[in-house]
Amino acid sequence: MKNVYKEFNLVSKNETELINITENVHSFVRTSGIKSGLVFVISFHTTTGITVNEPLPDLESDIATFLNKIVDENQEYRHARFLHSDGQMAVNSPSHLRQALLGFEVFFPIEDGEIKTGSRQSIYFVELDGPQERKYCIKAIGE
Amino acid sequence: MIDFHTYPIMIKELIEKDPSLGIHIRDILGFYFPPQPLSVFLYEMDAAGIEKSVLLPIDCSITHHCKIPSNETIADLVDKNPRFVGFASVDPNSKNSEKELNSSITQLGLKGLFLDPAIQRFGINSKEVTYPLYQICLELKIPVLIHCGLNWSPKSLARFANPLDLEEVAQDFPELKIIISNLGWPWYKEAIMLAMKYRNIYLDTSVMYSGIPKEMFSHLIGTLIGKGVFERNLHFQIIYGSNFPRVDMRRTMRGISAMDFSVDFKKHLFLENALTVLGKEGKS
Repeated sequence: MKNVYKEFNLVSKNETELINITENVHSFVRTSGIKSGLVFVISFHTTTGITVNEPLPDLESDIATFLNKIVDENQEYRHARFLHSDGQMAVNSPSHLRQALLGFEVFFPIEDGEIKTGSRQSIYFVELDGPQERKYCIKAIGE
Repeated sequence: MIDFHTYPIMIKELIEKDPSLGIHIRDILGFYFPPQPLSVFLYEMDAAGIEKSVLLPIDCSITHHCKIPSNETIADLVDKNPRFVGFASVDPNSKNSEKELNSSITQLGLKGLFLDPAIQRFGINSKEVTYPLYQICLELKIPVLIHCGLNWSPKSLARFANPLDLEEVAQDFPELKIIISNLGWPWYKEAIMLAMKYRNIYLDTSVMYSGIPKEMFSHLIGTLIGKGVFERNLHFQIIYGSNFPRVDMRRTMRGISAMDFSVDFKKHLFLENALTVLGKEGKS
């Protein structure tokens, strides 16, 4: 059994932003040396998500717009107070709730040294409280 | 639009260059989140629709033995990015404060003085310690921004930051432009009273005590103060400021924008009053 692991940083520019990281994951799998196994893509934050969808600008826009509509900013959130552990006002409850809808990870099979995805499936790192510097990891396990 | 109240702290490049700065930011100011690249500061401005930000340092070299950051660092940030307007800070308890203020303005090119009495621990109406600095501000034609009211720093003492102590200063320096930050909260009535009475007193909106910004501004300005007080009495004396990074610029901007002020008031709130305070230099 072989396993390969790497962390990646990125800087988001907008409050809500879908960042396509598909090629990064494909490239990681190709160079991992693993012919058959699984690859995991995991975000390290509670206000970012990882999701899979079709890489079309209109869909990216719709996902961002409706995530913001589904979790309305103008509600009476309890998480709206000074957070002593950060030294900041915690006013980002909607970002946390949007993350709860998306999840923080995806995984795919690896076969013949390649990630197996549907032809329309792209992998997105989703910023939900940007701009910020963010981190995610990719881990491949197999033989 | 100008954000008149931001702190260039938790910036990765500055802390990597001077790791002790990160320790002071944590211990004195009480920030614990991960440092972010300087580019994030600029992207945050973009996301909030802010064209320029006033950068505020805190010199507490006597009280807490540090500068967060130095005036030279502020000048360097301003030199490298035209979207920044730099203020100077000096520790009023230092015997060199007058000399340092003079050189920060005349040699480093900074545009105003920032004082944080709760952290620096001095009397804002002290004729011995603070009046000489006000006199220099007057002579150099620069504004003084004073953090009043609530201060989230774990080392701050709010008793030094009651805006009511500025009444005598406003009388003794009628030509000095004095900006009370934070709307003076929880002494917002005192701060507003001073601004209503003295035309050289300005207020910045960098208050944030609880709730999401929209909810808080609606309660404080809409219910407790009354929007009409701002529109009618303080049309030319209210200046937008976020207090970033205590709270993000985006939500602060959305919160105060939701107050549905008149178009002309918003023009003065977000730009014109800041330019008036900064003088001709700020209009460049």
